[in-house]
Amino acid sequence: MGNISLTLNGTPVSAPQGMTILEVARENGIDIPTMCYLKDLAPVGACRLCVVEVEGSRTLVGSCHTPVTPGMVIQTHSPKVLEVRRVLIELMMASHPDTCIVCEAANCCELRLRATDLEVGMPRFRTRMHYFPVEDENPSIIRDMSKCILCRRCVAACDNIEGKKMFSLAYRGFETKVIYDLDKPIGSNETCRDCKTCITLCPTGALRLPMKFGQEKKGPVLYVKG
Amino acid sequence: MPQEKVVLRNCGAIDPADIKTHRAREGFKALEKARGMTPEEVISEIKTSGLRGRGGAGFPCGIKWEGARNSPGDEKYVIGNADEGEVGTFKDRYIIQNDPFSLVEGLAIAGYAVGARQGYIYLRWEYSYLLDLLRGAIDQARAAGYLDGFRIEVRQGAGAYVCGEESALMESVEGKRGEARYRPPFPTVAGLFQKPTTINNVETLMNVAPIVLKGGAWYAGMGTERSRGTKVFSVSGDVARPGVYEMVLGSPLRELVEGLAGAKDIKMIQIGGATGRIIPYDQIDAPLAFESYLGAGAITVYNRSRGVLEIVGRTMEFLAEESCGKCTPCRQGTEWLVETLDRFRRGEGAARDIGYMQVLADTMALSSLCGLGQAACSGLVDTLKYFRDDYDRGISGK
Ligand SMILES: Cc1cc2nc3c(=O)[nH]c(=O)nc-3n(C[C@H](O)[C@H](O)[C@H](O)COP(=O)(O)O)c2cc1C
Ligand code: SF4
Ligand code: SF4
Repeated sequence: MGNISLTLNGTPVSAPQGMTILEVARENGIDIPTMCYLKDLAPVGACRLCVVEVEGSRTLVGSCHTPVTPGMVIQTHSPKVLEVRRVLIELMMASHPDTCIVCEAANCCELRLRATDLEVGMPRFRTRMHYFPVEDENPSIIRDMSKCILCRRCVAACDNIEGKKMFSLAYRGFETKVIYDLDKPIGSNETCRDCKTCITLCPTGALRLPMKFGQEKKGPVLYVKG
Repeated sequence: MPQEKVVLRNCGAIDPADIKTHRAREGFKALEKARGMTPEEVISEIKTSGLRGRGGAGFPCGIKWEGARNSPGDEKYVIGNADEGEVGTFKDRYIIQNDPFSLVEGLAIAGYAVGARQGYIYLRWEYSYLLDLLRGAIDQARAAGYLDGFRIEVRQGAGAYVCGEESALMESVEGKRGEARYRPPFPTVAGLFQKPTTINNVETLMNVAPIVLKGGAWYAGMGTERSRGTKVFSVSGDVARPGVYEMVLGSPLRELVEGLAGAKDIKMIQIGGATGRIIPYDQIDAPLAFESYLGAGAITVYNRSRGVLEIVGRTMEFLAEESCGKCTPCRQGTEWLVETLDRFRRGEGAARDIGYMQVLADTMALSSLCGLGQAACSGLVDTLKYFRDDYDRGISGK
């Protein structure tokens, strides 16, 4: 497979055929935000945060799953793209509980990171919240599905990295949920591999390690803009 | 322009349970003729005809077939899309009820042209009562020797609108959760079971036999520049004579809605169902064509007693319920719109939400993964333009 030429944010670049727009952008030092994307796993295309402008396309295109083609003209950070990404983050937060202040993941939450990066201001789109009881009986994992933004990283990681298939998706529309078994809470006797892969990958506080509160200090300082 | 029967040529004229009555009206002649041609010749005839998909998107049928034909691989599939989930469409049901044989014939020609040995018909769950008739037609065609080397299997949906969307439909046939896939790769390259696949609406396939028999040039002689042939419309709502009408493309909307269906006192018309456009009465002279409005041909008429917010709000409730839930803009956006439109319907809307609705509509159209989310706000955006007063009246304190 040969190299092809394209234009990335006004600069001519060359890239191997078959690479995705996201890969080419990152190789050229351009950071496109992602949420559902996991390096080395098949793209999912669900979060839409990585959309970019491609000349001639009616809609924006998902950069994580779209291969580059010869002569492609791509804008990764145009005002149109940034506004769409901002709205997408707002939509992810639209049904997310306002419990950051007591959330274990608050200082390493990718949703907060992206919201800060994109300068998402006062929320415009608020919907009803999802309230699911916290699943905290299992010795390996705590799940708080109220905080889930349905990036599906946990599903993909458990399927493809650990081969366990603990999680799947159920229901549709706004009711869509990552479920365990036939939508049971993960009980105390259920055994996963205890590999923590999904917990490490979860961008929010939806999946956490079972830990006694107040016993360990974790993570870097809070994200502060500026 | 007159009514013209191409798709509905056999409806009412044959016994849908008896292949002999179909054969008496040139049934399966086109399949025999096609098999005497090369697949490339068949595709070329379809391309000449200008036939575009009748399932909503209007993609040129010949180009789709050619794409799958030219994709490498021995195993290919053709699919007939009988999911007919779009709100206000019932033409495919009428077609299957009255002439299932021509659908089988059209799919078999598609299979021959594309190089597929296996075809599927995806029948929506709500049409279970058509299953026996459809399977009967396939069995009779097979018994008569028309399906040698080509297998047709009927698959039933499970009641999801999004499973009419081509990629979600393929996931469903594969036994997976009905969710859209990203494209590329397009189905003609990697579709069902990752093999080259064409998928066509029932009505599209119904046009194939007449085109093969009479030639693409004959078909291209009807319609407008970019909309050739005829179209079957499902007309419902505030009309005296709801039903299925076939017309030459480019015919004025007025002729269909007021002339044939007998609508009076019209306020607005929804064209293309839940993801379709909503136009006010003063655009009634628009031609019915891909150049203006068409979709899958659902025409829902509302008279002056109907409320705009009610219609847009209920349409959004439908779309929110039917969103597959995979992508952020559609899953979250439809929910916010349902809640917001509900506030406007109760007279508790906030003025700034009108602007936010527009912003959200843009984002959904630009970034949703499939056509459902991309077109979910068409009617909302149209009515914000043409019936802004109705929204303003929903603002709290007005
Ligand atoms: C949400 C959604 C629902 C759809 N439902 C149907 C359907 O019920 N029947 C259909 O033929 N096409 C439906 N389509 C269009 C299909 O994706 C596809 O374009 C069509 O089957 C292609 O056939 P055609 O080219 O013959 O029109 C739907 C598309 C979307 C986005
Ligand atoms: S639990 Fe976490 S990783 Fe899994 S889908 Fe939800 S947000 Fe993503
Ligand atoms: S646009 Fe809606 S229906 Fe289509 S993939 Fe996204 S969530 Fe699913």
